[in-house]
Amino acid sequence: MSKSEIDNTNPASTDPETRTVAAESEETLDDAWTEYETSGDTAIEVEDLNVWYGDDHALRDISMSIPEQSVTALVGPSGCGKSTFLRCLNRMNDRIRAAEVEGSVELHGEEIYQDGVDLVELRKRVGQVFQHPNPFPKSIRDNIAYGPRKHGDVTTGLFARLTGRHEGEKEERIVRESLQRSALWDEVKDRLDHNAMDLSGGQQQRLCIARCLAVDPEVILMDEPASALDPVATAKIEDLIESLAEEYTVVIVTHNMQQASRISDQTAVFLTGGQLVEYDDTETIFEDPESQRVEDYVTGKFG
Amino acid sequence: MSTDTRNPLVRAESSALERVAGGVLAVSVLVFALSWATTFEWLRMGDHVAGLPMVDWFGVANLLMGGALVTVGLASWVGLVDTSPSDEAGFVPGIIFGAMGLATGFFVVADWLDAGALAGLGAGVLVGIAAVAATVVPREDLGSTLVPGSGALLFGGLIAFDVLTVDWWFAPTWWSMRFVGYWAIPIGTSLVALLTVWSAGKARSGFGTAGRQTGAFALIGLNAFGMLSILTLVIAYVVSKGLPMLLEGASLAGGTLSLGPLSLPWVQLPFVTNATGSIFVDVPGVMPAVMGTIWLVVGAILLAVPLGVGAAVFLTEYAERGRLTAVVEIATNGLWSTPSIVYGLFGFAFLLPRFADGGSNILSGQLVLGFMLLPLVLITAREAMLAVPDAQRDASAALGVSKWETIRSVVLPSAAPGIVTGVILGVGRIAGETAPILLTIRASNFPRSSPGVIEGFRFVGSPPFVTNDALLQGASALPLQLYTTIQAGQSPRPSEFSFSEFGWGVALVLLLVVLGFYAIGIASRIYFRRKIRS
Repeated sequence: MSKSEIDNTNPASTDPETRTVAAESEETLDDAWTEYETSGDTAIEVEDLNVWYGDDHALRDISMSIPEQSVTALVGPSGCGKSTFLRCLNRMNDRIRAAEVEGSVELHGEEIYQDGVDLVELRKRVGQVFQHPNPFPKSIRDNIAYGPRKHGDVTTGLFARLTGRHEGEKEERIVRESLQRSALWDEVKDRLDHNAMDLSGGQQQRLCIARCLAVDPEVILMDEPASALDPVATAKIEDLIESLAEEYTVVIVTHNMQQASRISDQTAVFLTGGQLVEYDDTETIFEDPESQRVEDYVTGKFG
Repeated sequence: MSTDTRNPLVRAESSALERVAGGVLAVSVLVFALSWATTFEWLRMGDHVAGLPMVDWFGVANLLMGGALVTVGLASWVGLVDTSPSDEAGFVPGIIFGAMGLATGFFVVADWLDAGALAGLGAGVLVGIAAVAATVVPREDLGSTLVPGSGALLFGGLIAFDVLTVDWWFAPTWWSMRFVGYWAIPIGTSLVALLTVWSAGKARSGFGTAGRQTGAFALIGLNAFGMLSILTLVIAYVVSKGLPMLLEGASLAGGTLSLGPLSLPWVQLPFVTNATGSIFVDVPGVMPAVMGTIWLVVGAILLAVPLGVGAAVFLTEYAERGRLTAVVEIATNGLWSTPSIVYGLFGFAFLLPRFADGGSNILSGQLVLGFMLLPLVLITAREAMLAVPDAQRDASAALGVSKWETIRSVVLPSAAPGIVTGVILGVGRIAGETAPILLTIRASNFPRSSPGVIEGFRFVGSPPFVTNDALLQGASALPLQLYTTIQAGQSPRPSEFSFSEFGWGVALVLLLVVLGFYAIGIASRIYFRRKIRS
């Protein structure tokens, strides 16, 4: 969909430069960081995003733009709102009744918080991988094919067989390619009909990533995907994320500073109070941040 | 052994204490089992075993256990055997033993010796205080053996000296109950055995922490055994009473199975396959009642499962938690605890006039049983769906799958074993219900034919397009058949079978049908579990 088709009510998106402006509160104004110009095309543009859980102001005036085909890391202490922010990007916060979202999030220039947004389409395009691996208690094949089947991308089942519209080969191809891209194929190719619950934790998480890839998303949101895994499985997930960034836009929440510095292209630091304190190239954040608090945080002095 | 030395880490050989206490433990368990067997008349008190009647064996066993326990306690107290008792046996056993002493003293003095309530109370208090003191004051080894031991000695002595005999009886003046030896002795023995098992278990592990562990284990183990034996007893009793009727005229290959032109030898079980009131059969059977029960259960399931699961889906997945769900929950629990006769009356007063011109009919019975099944299906389906982790719903939603598809493909398959369990429990209950069907489907006491539900379906040219006269006629069902047989006081063939023979046969078939439903339910639960393996 080209930009010209979209009714642009937000002046920021007409600006040729994509800019991210720091939240204007006393705490951040003292620090010098004000804006960060990302390189490359923008996948997601967030403008003045505020989220409340009842009386709790979970996110304050977040504005940032997330470039395409790169890894953007969101770091910060527990309860700083980074997972909330992530859930805003595919409107999973709609599933929490108390959550109230204000502001604008644009996916390739299209506002996702407007009337008439098709959540099915949005979540097909913005997939999510959760902190704890959550495969369905079905076979590995059924797990991967679940999304495509539900979206009508493949037709299978008894009725399809009877009417001659069974697309077993297409499904097989989707399953194979998704598992190959999530680097799980070699481990499970001989037991696609086994229950996914029998896999190890790391394999389950890669299966969840493959399940997400099977619906062919543009953006993949990951909420601490490796925090429940051992170091070997974590390393595999990290390699996978880096390779995924060649094709997809990856936004990842992590507690692990080394992980953020290893795999991400740009890093956003959230500190307590739901504020985005600094957002810059990962290298800059970890070597020469503008804010003292960010430096303290990423070097482990605080948080 | 003094208490300030360490316990040995490894005890290679079993000590004299362990052998004696273990022996008491074994005898207690044996006596407990025997007393249950006698209570339920598998053994008779008068039966001679190795030259002695059962009742004397109970006396001997009680004396043995009591003597051994007191000896063990004393031996430990004076330091002859190696134990590690705590300072006291504790207040809970003290209170329990005290209450037992109070009751015993009161009974013996006030009623048995006819000394009046006041004297009885005095004696009871004295004995009770003595029991408490004997338990709480001395060290644990004495405290936990003296009272059970002397209780067993007393009880065994009374039997041995023929004070308590099989024919002994005693009726308290203030209680309309008669204690008779033939059942009071085994019941008393099983109570004594519970005490001695605990005490001997403690002694076996040398008292102290290890002793309390063994004692508690032995006591609760015996309780579990008791529960299991009640279950076995009920089933075995019904089987033993009903089997002769069930097997009346039965043969392994006397019948024929017709498969088109083929005619194969087949099992013949006339009591199950014959009609009840027919004059053309040798053995009156229960086929009409079996078919009636099956149709009732099938109809109830067809009504209750879709409605109940649907309501559970709405309440769990769609409705916001609030006043509506709270009201529905209260209403559901209320429905579940409504007495079944009230359902029956509702069916009689409300449903019957609306079908078949007010006559009894199967359809009303199916609906009433369906109403009864509904709340349990709803409750268990809700529980099962709430137990499906939200992570799975999130995973499905994050793939862009709509709510209904998520429910259909993720929630319901995961919840299926729980739902099936609920339906099994409910079917077990409604298959045996008598009151509601008594008021809704009862027709003749001894029906001549089974309800022809399958062949009763007819297509007609006007609404409702499908009719079934068989569903609009009265029928029988197994619990109803049992009830009418007992109430009528005669079997369908009074000259050949007594009503109790016939009734036990019906009871056995009812038990088998209900167990059959359970088996189907358990098999399908295993199937669904294996499918999701959660």
